[in-house]
Order: sequence, then structure tokens, then C-alpha cells
Amino acid sequence: MNLFLFLNSWWVPFYGLIGAIVTLPWAMGTIRRTGPRPAAYFNLLMTVLAFVHSLVVLKDIWNQEPQSFLVTWLKTADLDLSFALDVSPVTVGAAVLITGLSLLAQIYTLGYMEKDWALARFFALMGFFEAALSGLALSDSLFLSYALLEMLTLSTYLLVGFWYAQPLVVTAARDAFLTKRVGDLLLLMGVVALATMAGSLNFSDLNEWAQTANLSPVNATLLGLALIAGPAGKCAQFPLHLWLDEAMEGPNPASVMRNSMVVAGGAFVLFKLQPILSLSPVALNALVVIGTVTAVGASLVSIAQIDIKRALSHSTSAYMGLVFIAVGLQQGGVALVLLFTHAIAKALLFMSAGSVIATTNTQDLTEMGGLWSRMPATTTAYIVGATGMVTLLPLGSFWAKLQWVENFITAPPWLVGVLLLVNGLTSLNLTRVFRLVFWGHSQPKTRRAPEVGWQMALPMVSLTVVTLLVPLLLQQWQLLPSWEAINRLAVVLLVASSATGLAIGSMIHLQRAWSRPIKLSWRVVQDLLSYDFYIDRLYGVTIVSAVALMSRLNAWIDRYVVDGLVNLVGLATIFGGESLKYSSSGQSQTYVLTILLGVCLLGLLVSWPLGFLIGWQF
Amino acid sequence: MLSALIWMPMLGAALIGFWPKGMNPNRSRLIALVAAGAACLWTLVIVSQFNPSHVGQQFSEFIPWIETLGLNYHLGVDGLSLPLLVLNGLLTCIAIYSSDVAIQRFRLYYALVLVLSAGVAGAFLAQDLLLFFLFYELELIPLYLLIAIWGGHRRGYAATKFLIYTAISGILILASFLGIVWLSSNTSFAYDPSRTQTLPLATQALLLLMLLIGFGIKMPLVPLHTWLPDAHVEASTPVSVLLAGVLLKLGTYGLLRFGMGLFPDAWNLLGPWLATWAVVSVLYGSFTAIAQKDMKKMVAFSSIGHMGYVLLAAAAATPLSTLATVLQMVSHGLISALMFLLVGVVYKKTGSRDLDVLSGLLNPERGLPLIGSLMVLGVMASAGTPGMIGFISEFLVFRGSFPVFPVQTLLSMLGTALTAVYFLNLMNRVFFGRLSEQVINLPRVQWSDRYPAIVLAVLIVLFGIQPNWLVHWSEPTTTAMNASFPVLTLRTHNFKFVTSQEGQELFSHAFKRTLALPEIPSPMSHTP
Amino acid sequence: MVSIKNKPSNHPLAEYIQRLEAGEALLPDTADNVLEVVGILKSYGVVLDAYSRNLIYIAENQFLVLFPFFKYFNGEITPAKLLRYWWHDRINFEYAEYVMRTMLWHGTGGLDDYLDSPEFKQRAEAAIQAKLQGHPLMLGLKALFPEFLPEQVRMSCYYSALGQFWRVMSDMFLSLSDRYDKGEIQSIPQVVDHVKDALVAAAQLSITYAVKLRGKTYEIIPASAGLTFLTDTAVPYVETIFFRGTPFQGTVSYNAQAHQISPDPSRFNYGALFADPLPTGGAGIPPTLLMQDMRHFLPDYLREFYRRGRRGEDDLRVQICVSFQKSMFCVTTAAILGLMPNPGNTLLPDEQKANRVYLESWMNRFLASRLNEVNDQPNSCPVALPEWS
Repeated sequence: MNLFLFLNSWWVPFYGLIGAIVTLPWAMGTIRRTGPRPAAYFNLLMTVLAFVHSLVVLKDIWNQEPQSFLVTWLKTADLDLSFALDVSPVTVGAAVLITGLSLLAQIYTLGYMEKDWALARFFALMGFFEAALSGLALSDSLFLSYALLEMLTLSTYLLVGFWYAQPLVVTAARDAFLTKRVGDLLLLMGVVALATMAGSLNFSDLNEWAQTANLSPVNATLLGLALIAGPAGKCAQFPLHLWLDEAMEGPNPASVMRNSMVVAGGAFVLFKLQPILSLSPVALNALVVIGTVTAVGASLVSIAQIDIKRALSHSTSAYMGLVFIAVGLQQGGVALVLLFTHAIAKALLFMSAGSVIATTNTQDLTEMGGLWSRMPATTTAYIVGATGMVTLLPLGSFWAKLQWVENFITAPPWLVGVLLLVNGLTSLNLTRVFRLVFWGHSQPKTRRAPEVGWQMALPMVSLTVVTLLVPLLLQQWQLLPSWEAINRLAVVLLVASSATGLAIGSMIHLQRAWSRPIKLSWRVVQDLLSYDFYIDRLYGVTIVSAVALMSRLNAWIDRYVVDGLVNLVGLATIFGGESLKYSSSGQSQTYVLTILLGVCLLGLLVSWPLGFLIGWQF
Repeated sequence: MLSALIWMPMLGAALIGFWPKGMNPNRSRLIALVAAGAACLWTLVIVSQFNPSHVGQQFSEFIPWIETLGLNYHLGVDGLSLPLLVLNGLLTCIAIYSSDVAIQRFRLYYALVLVLSAGVAGAFLAQDLLLFFLFYELELIPLYLLIAIWGGHRRGYAATKFLIYTAISGILILASFLGIVWLSSNTSFAYDPSRTQTLPLATQALLLLMLLIGFGIKMPLVPLHTWLPDAHVEASTPVSVLLAGVLLKLGTYGLLRFGMGLFPDAWNLLGPWLATWAVVSVLYGSFTAIAQKDMKKMVAFSSIGHMGYVLLAAAAATPLSTLATVLQMVSHGLISALMFLLVGVVYKKTGSRDLDVLSGLLNPERGLPLIGSLMVLGVMASAGTPGMIGFISEFLVFRGSFPVFPVQTLLSMLGTALTAVYFLNLMNRVFFGRLSEQVINLPRVQWSDRYPAIVLAVLIVLFGIQPNWLVHWSEPTTTAMNASFPVLTLRTHNFKFVTSQEGQELFSHAFKRTLALPEIPSPMSHTP
Repeated sequence: MVSIKNKPSNHPLAEYIQRLEAGEALLPDTADNVLEVVGILKSYGVVLDAYSRNLIYIAENQFLVLFPFFKYFNGEITPAKLLRYWWHDRINFEYAEYVMRTMLWHGTGGLDDYLDSPEFKQRAEAAIQAKLQGHPLMLGLKALFPEFLPEQVRMSCYYSALGQFWRVMSDMFLSLSDRYDKGEIQSIPQVVDHVKDALVAAAQLSITYAVKLRGKTYEIIPASAGLTFLTDTAVPYVETIFFRGTPFQGTVSYNAQAHQISPDPSRFNYGALFADPLPTGGAGIPPTLLMQDMRHFLPDYLREFYRRGRRGEDDLRVQICVSFQKSMFCVTTAAILGLMPNPGNTLLPDEQKANRVYLESWMNRFLASRLNEVNDQPNSCPVALPEWS
């Protein structure tokens, strides 16, 4: 039985896919008399199966060598597109994490979206999401990973566009797709080039190839940068980061998945690409630079957000920036641990935020306050999630960051400074949000706030427990340092940075209810940060307007130059004018036949003498 | 066996056209459907009998016809034409099915559609240059009439423009064919690649250039394209489906079969230029599509962009890229047909195709939700999202062309991002948002409006997941087509970029050498 | 004596003030409107009956139950019913809860005041203690988060209060339908009168709430609290559900930086009289649930009426929503007329003036509502055919 499950571990992504497909009749509105819930239940069942399946496989292969499966998909000419699957504790563990979080998010959806009649469509998309993600976890082929990343782009578009009639969603969904598409396109260029150079696109072959590859520095750099672009788009890294902010227009359960797992999916591909990236020092440096800029910038931006979801989502970009730095320094292990601890803590924070939104009908932090004593599960989830994000207590991220500091002692010291800064700013931001939402006095919108129902509370509490257990899991996986080996200085630095953030966060003056700072300089800084350094406007006047200009210019040329020339020649006007009336009379047919006959005769006449001449000459 | 593909629709057309009395719209529609369906099924029979591993023509039919002209009725099918024949059969059925039931002058209409289909099938089957030309011209008349009689407001202009362009295309192709036959001192128009090899390279290049322009009009390539958006905008939906889905493929098919097939050396010579031309076409079509407000025009310009990929892959002429041309042709045929069908339904129900007028059509109660969902699929397929045929065909195009023309390939890859730009713009403006007041009370969408689109959508996904079913039929043929090509690519480890500049040098060098060599004289100077 | 009635009001909605002063309704009196309003109120009555029973059941039997898996079953759990519910072949009780939570959240009227009173605190505490007996874990939680359980009890109070309110409304709408079937109701003013009379008759009905725990009854809202039907449930209901509502995620962005939603809930206008019926059936539109429930109980004459629309039954839920909005304007008319300070046919100028002021204050709130659309547009308007033909 276990062997059977193991041999069929490639089947894990298909559960979600089947769920999504079976759900179609409800999602498309073919079944109208009864409601969409059977679709939701079926997807839940499929996710449970996927979770159990991957869990059993994980238990089995715990101490075994990684196995790989190879499925040839398309073999033609000199191209061999095969889907390699890598079944190792890491990949199956990732699948367990994905299906598990997906399961929790789906139960959560039952509560959060209970009054949404398009529930089936949402569950179909979640199933699709889960399928693509778990496929990504198991994939050992760059081609397959690329395809799945594209599917994630598509499902992000559809999930963000879920409330399609809402005006901001219309632009948000489009921007999310296009931003990611830019990254995907560059990645595709890299994939095509790599396929040509390396022959195979399976990661194991690529690694082998990278050992011996002899590329010119320029080519290696271009290749590396192209390969970085895809994950950078997925992980919302500068300069492809704006979509994540906009994507918060989508329903919250999707945000839970997106901020924890989807961004991690991009980073996971980056992790797998590490050997190829190491061909180019420039690419590695680019990773560090992108990561640093995003980590610091996004942390600052998150502090100025007044929207609860956005305050959290910018910190996602920041943490992915840290992952980028780790990969840039070729510390893949650190990157994976950080991804793992971040995913769980961030999912929990988003669940908490979702239940606040569902209860208070607002996302505006300045309109909230005083929720703690009414909403125990939500408050606990937030506190545990926040401590899981920063390094005050020895929860997940503490150990990830400790490992980071220890491994980076050899790297330039400013990188440790970046980590401490990001950590401190995150701590500040989470403290600020906590004070605004849960502390203080209640306001009109938070005056009556009964705790959410069990569909939302249960996953929240479960994930709270999991977050608390993360250190134990890390210990199980032997990822924790022994007591003696702990670098005391690193611990002191980390705790100090979190504590500083906490202290500043609890002392700063918080504006309530749409008041603005009085001092102009502060106002400028606040606006600069809350509008993401106005980068969207920068794009507006550069790339977007360039494409728009180009397209208008092209259309103008097409209309007035290319087509104009044709019309000028006059042939069209002679025939197309008022002289021809295509009415019900049979005249038109004869007309055409005449023209056609004329044309053929002309052709023959033109070419006949030529041929005749030649024929005669020979 | 193959003749049936031509004569079944012809018979149907004759039945509808010359039925003595009592022909009503329903009966003629039924006859047309039966004739087209029979032809389509017959194509499938041929597919089942087709031996994919056999290179070269199968099921050949040869009947001497006019010996003085060197014209023979010679048909055959191979891996290049087979998928296109199936596409033709399928899309003809779909076009007839999705025609308006209450169409005016129904007898002429259905007869013309069938003649069109027969002409296209004949062109794909013809193994004789002149026969191909005859069919190529034959298809022109019904299409002209279909646009000119059942078109929109400016149908006269559009139809005439189409006619003139295609007539020029025909003249050039005929001239080139005649040149081939007579310059190689032959009297037969039989398709025979071997004899063009004896011609001087410059002559080959000249003849190829004529073919390029001739078929380039049909594809169409920028700047020979302006007939296409006008024709699409004025044509009714079924005609647009046929035009985009099948007729444009005559251009690419002709290029591959006659351009690449008859002039491999000249083709190699012109390769870099063709690839650059393809880039121009792709980017030009895509950028122009972004600026369009008319959905149909947007899809038409998108067609221009996507047909550019075929030229890119053909120019590279590697075994993989040649295979990719077939896939891309089928993919474009299915996807553009789907898009035109969907735009057609929107137009039929709302009376508008204007991006500024329409909005919120995803509304589940009063909008067109299923059409909108299928549109998402079509848009995504067109933008090359994996899981659909657009992705694998474009991937093969890029992967196949990259080793030969890396710069051109990378540039034309921008087209996929631009496709996403304009089609998402279409999607979000027309289908997202609140239903606009102008279209608040649309007529019902019948299931018969949806079936054709659903069939196409299923095929798009099916071939996207399992492209082997398509590759399987064509690969031996396309590989064989490349056998006569020198290996341009240095594969695997010691990969070398051939930049366009190098390509150009190669070209000009070869050209100069050809012209300079005195021992290859021009044919005129020869004396018997 | 110059009657004020002769001087038209300057209000932008003066037309409706005039109508109300003349004793007419906000909705024009046409045969189609009567058919639509009565028909939809009939099915609404059936749905409200189910909602009301369930709300009262939950309030009384699911008091502080942490995992109320079967709260929609009304205590009757059979395999067949379970399967039917899993197939989602059931009334969407979620909508009733949504309305209840909206009322709780907006919190207007006497019930809201009572829930903040020391008396409530004390009574709720007693009930909580009784419920938590023998649950040390929950008691610990209670100590950590003192407001958690009282807030849940407040919600239970609203469950019960809304249930009682809808009980009256359901009976009122069903008897309206019966009278229509008997031919007694033939015009919109008659509909309004029926509703008004029923409201007046029930006005002083006492709203109470008690739970039975371990054999003992705990009164949480005693009759002595003095909460009555009209002022403490009907008026808050009109205020919160007809006028304020909550923004629908399917049409309004919750993005704080977009500032689409007013920070002051009393300025919300997302209620039943304001909502756009067109997106009904789509994603993120909670009233879809109600429309879906009503579609099962449409009287034949109304279903036939809808079938005549251009899309037939394809856009049933939007058509239902349009009719429903019309009927809600009738109910509002009844409430306005019922609460008018002086009789509508008074001849005393002072009283007329007071009425005018009263009506203008109502009209101010109708400014952004769907009042004009309801008056102008027939349910299925024949839009010009597409130019294509």
C-alpha cells in the first residue's frame, strides 16, 4: 500500500486538478438550482487526499535517498521534453506543507466566503492553485517548473480577478498578470537559451552541465539575469513588486496562499537554479542587490500602510528579498528554512487579518482598535504569527535568521546589518499593526466584534499550534544548532533588533481616523512610503507610456502610411467606390469573374513569352 | 481517395445550388453540414490510414489532364498537409454550423462556403504546381463573394481590396511557377524539388522572392497585410473563422512547400532576412493590436503577429523549427478561429465590438458568462499559457529558431508579452467591471452559439496537453524537408550565437559570390 | 386658509413628497407592479419563515456552542436531510446570519443600548457561568479574554430579535398574498395599507430572549427591558438593512488607501434601497443568496411574468432582485406613513408643515437610492435591438 502510494507520488498535484475540473459545472453556472457547496466539499475532500497521500509518502521516504521519476512528454527532432519528478524529503515535505496550508485555507474559505455565491469558482481556482504549486514542489525539470509558474500566473490573474465587477480588481488582475508575465518572458528566454545550450532541461542534467559549461561571461550573465527575472516577478521583488500590493484586492483566503506559498514557489525555483546562477558572479551579485533593495524598501513601505492586508503583504516582499540574498550568497539551505518559517507565520498573520476584516467590514487600520478581548483566536493567531516572523522568541524565523547570521559571518558585514534592519522594521511594523487593530479603544467599526465562526477559527487555531511547533519540527530535521554551537553574539544582535523594533513600535504616535501628520516633511515621507515610492507612476510615465506610444504610432503608420499608400495607388478606390453596388442582382458575380479571368490572362500573357523565349532558346 | 475531399463539398455545393425547387434555408444548411461533415470524417479516415513513418506523398492520385500545358491532376498528402486538411474539414463544419440560420440568399451562401472549402482542400492536396495555382485561385472567388455580399458596411471596399491583393499574390506565384518550369527547361508542372537545384542561385533567389511576396500577401506579412484587418472586420463571423483559421495557412503552406521545398539553398541565403522580416511582422502586428478599439480588428492584427512566428520558424529551417511551423499553423488556426467565434457571439448579442462601449459581460445573469470564460481560455492560449496548444507550438518555434537566429528569436518572443497586453486589455475592458448600460438587456445565448467554441476550446487544451498526437503525424515529413539543408546549428556544448550581423554577412557574401562567378551564367546567355 | 399642500416642496425629490402627502406610495400603482410586489413578497414570506425559525432555533439551542456543525438543521438530523444539505439543496441560512450580523455591527436602536447596559452584563454573565460549568479550559479563556463570551451573547440576542421580527413580517407577507389571491388587494396603496396596518398592530409586541441551560431558564432580554417590535427591531432593521447595509466586496474595494468606503458607518448607503440589482448572481454579492432562495417559491403568475423577459429565466435572480427592491420601497412607504407625526390628510397648517419636514428628511436619505430607477424602469426594459441584423 505504502509502496503503491510512493510509486504514485506524482499523482499528488492531480488531486487539486481533479477537484478543479469536477467543480466546473458549478463554477460556470451550469448548475443553477442548487448551490455551489458540493463543489467546495469535493475540493476539500481532494485536498485531504492529497495531504494524506503526501504525508504518508513523506513518512516513508524520510531516511531514504531521493528518487526521481522521468515521464517523457514530448520527444521530437533534437528536443526531449521530459518531466522529471524529484521525490525527496525536501520536495515531498514542501508538498505536505502546500497541501496542508491549502486545506486550512480552504476550510477558512468556507467561513470567509460563506455568503459568496461564486464559491465554486473560488474553490476550483484554489484547487488549480494547489495543483500547480505541489507540481512545482515535485518538479525536477526547469521546463515543467516554468510551465507551472505560468499556470500560477494564470491562476493569480483569475483569483485576483475573482470579484471581476469591482473596478479596482479590473486593473489589479491585469497588472498582476502583466508584471509576472514580464518576469516569465525573461525566464522563458533563459529557458530557451538553456535548452539549446545544455540540451536537457532537467535540473539534475543542468547541474551536471553547469559544472563543465564554458560560457562567455556576457552570455553567462545574460542567462543568469534572465533566469532571475522569473522568480523575481513571482516573489514580488523590485522592480517587479507592485503586483502583490494590488493583488490584495482579491479574496483573503487567496491572499493567505499567495503570501505564503506562491511567492515561495518562485523562490523555490530560484533555489533549484542556484548551480546555473553560480556561473555568473554578476547574476549572484544582482540577486543580492535586488534582495537588499526590496527587503529594505518593502520594510519601510509596509510601515506607512494603512491597509491591513497591504501592511502585511509588503513584508512578504521584504522576506523574499532576504531569500534572494541568501541564494545570491549560495546559501540555499538558509533560504529554504527561511521560506518555510515565513510561509507558516505569514499564512497565520493573513488568516488573522482576514477574520478582522470579516468581522469589522473594513481593512483600514486607522478605523480599528480594541479587538483583543473580544476575539481570542484572532488575537492569539496574530501574536503567534508575529512572533513567528521576528526574532524575539525562539519560534521559527528566529532559527532561520540565526542560521543566516552564522553563515554570513564570512560575507560582507553590511548584509548582516540588512537582516537586522529588516527584522527590526518588521518588528516595528507588526507592533504598530497590533496596537492599531487589537489594542486601544474600539471605534465605530470595531464596536461590535464577535469572534468568527468555527470554519475560520479552526484553521486559525490549528495553524497557531503548528507555528508554535515549528522549532520542534526544525529540531526533528536536525536544522537546529546544538546549544553549545549557538553563536551568542548573533542571538544578542537578533533579539536586540527585534526588541528595538518592538520598543519603537509601541512608543510611536499612531494616527487614528484619517488624520495626517502636520509637519510637511513627515507628510512627504509618509506619502512617499505609503505610495510605494511612487514607483507605479514611474512605470506609468516610462514603460507603460512607451508601449502605448509605440502602439499608437504603429497604428497610425498602419492606417495612414501603409494602408494610405495602398489607397493612394488608387486601385482600391477605383474598384471599391460607389460604382459597384453589391445588391441582390447577379451582377457582382459576373463582375468578379471578369476581373479574375482578366487577371489570369494577364498572368499568362506576362509569363508566356518569357517561357516561350527560353524554351526556344534551349 | 483524396479526390473525395474536394468533390464531396463540390457535390454539396452543386446540390444546394442546382436543386430544382423547394430549397429552404434549413435544408440547404443540412446539406451543407452533411457535405462538410462527410468531408471532415473522410479526412479522419485518411488520418487513420495514413502511415506517419512514411516520408513523402501518400494516397497519390494521378490523372493526366492537359499535356500541352504540362498540367496533371496529381494529388497527394504528407505530414505537412495532413494537419491542415483536418483543420480545414473541422473549421468548415464549424463555420457552417455557426452561420446565421436566417441568412439571406442562403443557397448561394452555403454553396460558396463549400466551394471555398473544396478549393482549400485542393490546394493542400495538389502535387502539381499549376494545379495548386488553380485551386489557390479557385478559393479566391467564393471568399470574395462571401465578403462582398454578406459583409458589413464597407464590404465593397474590403472585398475589392482583398481581391486585388490576392490577385497580385496569384500573379506572382504563377510567374514564379512558370519561371521554375521554363527556366529548368521542363514542360511539366509536377512538384519536383530536384530540378530547381540546377538553377543558378541568383535565379533561385529571384523566384523565391516572388513566391515570398506572393505568399507573404496571403499570410499576411507586414507591410503586405492591410487587406486582412479590413476583410476580417467586414466579413461575417463564419467567414472570418475560415479566413483566419484556414486561408491564411495557404500562405504559410505555400511558403513551406514551394519556397522552402523547392529552393533550399536560396532559402538558406535569405534566411536571416526572413527571420528579421518575421520579427517586424510579429512586433508590428502586436503593437498595432494594442491600439485597436475594435475587438475583431484586434484579433486580426494578433493574427498577423502570430503568423510571423511561422515565418521565423520556417526561416530557421532546423528540423525542430520546421515541425514547429506545422504546430504553430494548427495552433493559430484553432485559437484564432475560437477568438473570432467568440467575438462573433459578442457582436451578435450586443451589436458592438467596441472596447469603449462594452463592459462587464462576465455578469452571470445578463451578460455572456460562458462566452467570457471561453474568452479567458482563448486569450490565455493565444498568449502562450502552458496547458494549451499555443504554448507548446510557440515554445517549439522559439526553441527551434534560437540556435540559428538568437537575436531575432528573442525579439519575437516579446510578441508573447505584447499578446498578453492587448488581449488582457480586451478581456478586462469587455468582460470585467459592471455590465454597461447599453447592453443591459441582451438576448439569450443559445447553446448552439456555444458548441462550436467549446469544441475548439477542448481541442486547444487537448493538443496542449498531448502535442504528441500532432507531432506524430508531421515529424517524419518535416524532418525530411530539412534533410537537404546544411546543418546551420552547432548543437549542445559548443553552442555559438549566430547573430543577425553574421547572418547578413553570410548572406551578402554568398550573394556576391553567386553573382561574381562567371561559370554560372544567366539563362539568357545560354545558346543551344 | 392656504394649505401648504398647494405649495410644492423645493426638494429634488419633491414629486415623491407630493405623492406621499396624497397618500400614495413611492412605487407607481400599475398592474405589473402589484403583481411583482405581491408575488415577490409571497416568496419572501416563505423564505423569511424559514429564516426566522432557524434564527430563533440557533439563539435558543446553539447558545455558545463552539462548533455548531448542525445549526441549520433545526434539531432534526436525518441522513436524507444531511445529503440534501451537502448537495446544497437548502435555504441559504447564511444570508439570515449576514443580516443579523449587519444589524449587530451597525447597532442602532434600543436593543443596542440595552446590550451595553449593566443589566445585560449581569444576565449574560449568569447564563455564561451556567453554560461553562465544568469547562475549566473555557473558563481560563474567559479570564484571558473577558469580552469574548459576552460579545457572543450579544450576537445571540440579535439572532433572537431578528428571528422575532421576521416572524411578524413573514406572516404579514403571506397574509398579503392570501388576500391578493382572494382578490382583496388590487393596488399598490392597498399593499402599503396592508403592511402599515400589520406594522401598527404588531408595534407594541414585546421582544424577549431567554435560553434554557441545564433545566433552568435564563432570561437575557426580559420583558421588563421594554424592547418592542416597532421601535427596537423594525426601525433599526429599516435603518441598517434598507439604508446602510455593508459594502459588497464584489463591487466596492475595501482597499483603505482607495477610500471608497466611508469611515462613518452611519453614512453608508449600501442597503436594499440603494443596491444595484444588476450584479446579482455574481461574485461577492451577498443578496444573491436571498434571491436564490426566493426563486424556489415564486408563485406561478410571477414566474410566468419573468419568463416573458428577453432572457427568460436566465436572468431570474436579477429580475427577482428588481421586484424585491420595488417591494421594499412599498414596505418603506408603509413605515414612512406609519411613523408620520400627523395624519396624512390633516388640514392644520402646523401639522402639514411638520409632515413636510418629516418627509423631506426621509427624502434626503433617498437622494442616492434607486427610487428613480424603480419608478422609471420596467423590470425587463426592451433595449434597442443590436444594429446587426
